[in-house]
Amino acid sequence: MFDNRRIGMALAVPAVLFIALAFLVPVAVLLSGSVATADGWGLGRFTEFFADSLYREVVWRTIRLGALVTLTCAALGYVAALAIVQAGPTWKGRFVGLIVLPLMISPVARTYAWIVILGRTGMANQLITGLGLSAEPLRLLFTETAVFIGLVQLFLPLMVLSLVSALENLPADVVPAARVLGAGWMPVFFRVILPLTREGLVTGGTLVFTGAITAYITPAVLGGSKVLMLETLLYQRVSVSNDFVSASVIAVILIAMGVAAHTLLKRAAKARAR
Amino acid sequence: MRRVLVFKHSLERSAMSAFIRSGLGLAVAALVLAVQPAAAQERTLVVSAFGVSQDLMRKDLYAPFEARCKCKIVVNVGNSADRLAKLEARKGNPEVDVAVLADFAAMEAAQKDLIEPIDVSKLKNYSKLHEVAKNPIGNHMGVGYTYFATSIIYRSDKVKINSWADLTQPALKGRLALPNITTTQGPTMLLMMDKAFGGTTPNFATGINKVSEMKGGVVTFYERSAQLVQLFQQDEIYAAVAGRFNWPLIKKLNLPLAWATPKEGVTGGINVLVVTKGSKNKDLAYAFIDEWLSTEAQTRLAMDLVDSPANKEVKLPREVADVLTYGNDTVKALNLIPPTQVLLHRKAWVDGWNAKVAR
Repeated sequence: MFDNRRIGMALAVPAVLFIALAFLVPVAVLLSGSVATADGWGLGRFTEFFADSLYREVVWRTIRLGALVTLTCAALGYVAALAIVQAGPTWKGRFVGLIVLPLMISPVARTYAWIVILGRTGMANQLITGLGLSAEPLRLLFTETAVFIGLVQLFLPLMVLSLVSALENLPADVVPAARVLGAGWMPVFFRVILPLTREGLVTGGTLVFTGAITAYITPAVLGGSKVLMLETLLYQRVSVSNDFVSASVIAVILIAMGVAAHTLLKRAAKARAR
Repeated sequence: MRRVLVFKHSLERSAMSAFIRSGLGLAVAALVLAVQPAAAQERTLVVSAFGVSQDLMRKDLYAPFEARCKCKIVVNVGNSADRLAKLEARKGNPEVDVAVLADFAAMEAAQKDLIEPIDVSKLKNYSKLHEVAKNPIGNHMGVGYTYFATSIIYRSDKVKINSWADLTQPALKGRLALPNITTTQGPTMLLMMDKAFGGTTPNFATGINKVSEMKGGVVTFYERSAQLVQLFQQDEIYAAVAGRFNWPLIKKLNLPLAWATPKEGVTGGINVLVVTKGSKNKDLAYAFIDEWLSTEAQTRLAMDLVDSPANKEVKLPREVADVLTYGNDTVKALNLIPPTQVLLHRKAWVDGWNAKVAR
């Protein structure tokens, strides 16, 4: 009566309808506002936006922090993922469980925990003054450094999970083969492991980068308005100035950044595939 | 992956179709329920309000009113900007009957022709309001139901604050939190800084310049006043500009903290009730507004520390009055920004702030 494909299609209908009506249509309406001008269509709003040095600074900071967070997560992620894949099946499960655990805690709670750690009387400063690295507690909160740390902690699990599944698909004998042929650990990583797990890196990198540039709570709480990012600027435009047009311009820029990052990562992965 | 396949095969086909059939059945049942009218004869009053303290609002205000009016109150919550956008989307055929807005947002709604004047002769409790609350946005477009004071909360063991200008003292360098321009408190702080340093223009240029000179020593320009408790607790700050509604929580910290009474005075804000233009339940809307302004409802809301009363007949015990914005003198002394000025200059404040303070 039913074949599996038809069932699948039928089951997908409500979700597809819901996403189309509740997400795609409103987003299209919002984004169309960014190219609508007084006399039709144009990119005038974008040139206006980039003419302002504050906005340029915010865009640059968003790209810079997004890239830094992605690179850091990739470096830390490979180390963790390699360790997890090496571990036996029991430990692998436990490690993955530990990695997933923070994802179950609200980003708000995780971010507030950093306020306690990075505060004037917090753990980080006690360590710094205790080790005699600085006589006075350092101002860590409400700086780019704090936002960077918070974002890395927020998105590292996504990178680790992407890389673990990529490393699991790595044929078991390629690393020993390279070692037998006399490759050191560095060449093994850069010429064997990295090229063979690039898909996972592209997935993880895209998730982390788009996550980092669109995160709101972390930059708002750990950076505050002194470290304005595109997402915090977007919020300001909507909720203070009631200025949905600028907001839609910012939204388009964020989407474009996400797409560009994904394309670049894919390109880089393809280039390595030769 | 393999596990999923096993699971799929183990699912009997008959079970699968039964599952789908029951799913469809449920969906149909849900639809039938959704289109059923709630109750045949019961009328509904739709109120658009701030999200805070809705549970207490229900207990102190909605429930007692519902019991008498034989109607149902439905509340749409959200921040001012997004509720205003919704009112605009339904212009001429409003879903909302009564809206609760900050004075400048109500003013914006009036300019956009979304609300209509309130015939105050129909409100029994109107005469009980403080003068400030009677006609806060002009033309009787709204009535004030609460206001709050904004001043400086400070560590009395570390600094002395007798003037808004004292915020610039060296002892507060790296120990001060100020509201961001995005908060309700932001513009009011600029008003007072402007006043303290002899500013004369409605775009608060003097105030903005002062704040931008101080910005290196400001720990953060906060977006959420809830953060202040933690910042005081961790010794991160010795002073902050804050609304009176933050005071009860901050006071609990057991630190030597004080609420400043600067010589230029304190500032604050006022919230108003408005009736949407074309509301189909005007009689209920008026009855509801009258209920909200009544001495009983205003007292209940004040006792639960939800809102300071705008009704001058409300009598409060000392410990409650102390944390709210209460009493004729207090109310008279508030330096409020005229809502017209907010509308005309808000964009200029945000732009000036972004150009000088935010970078």
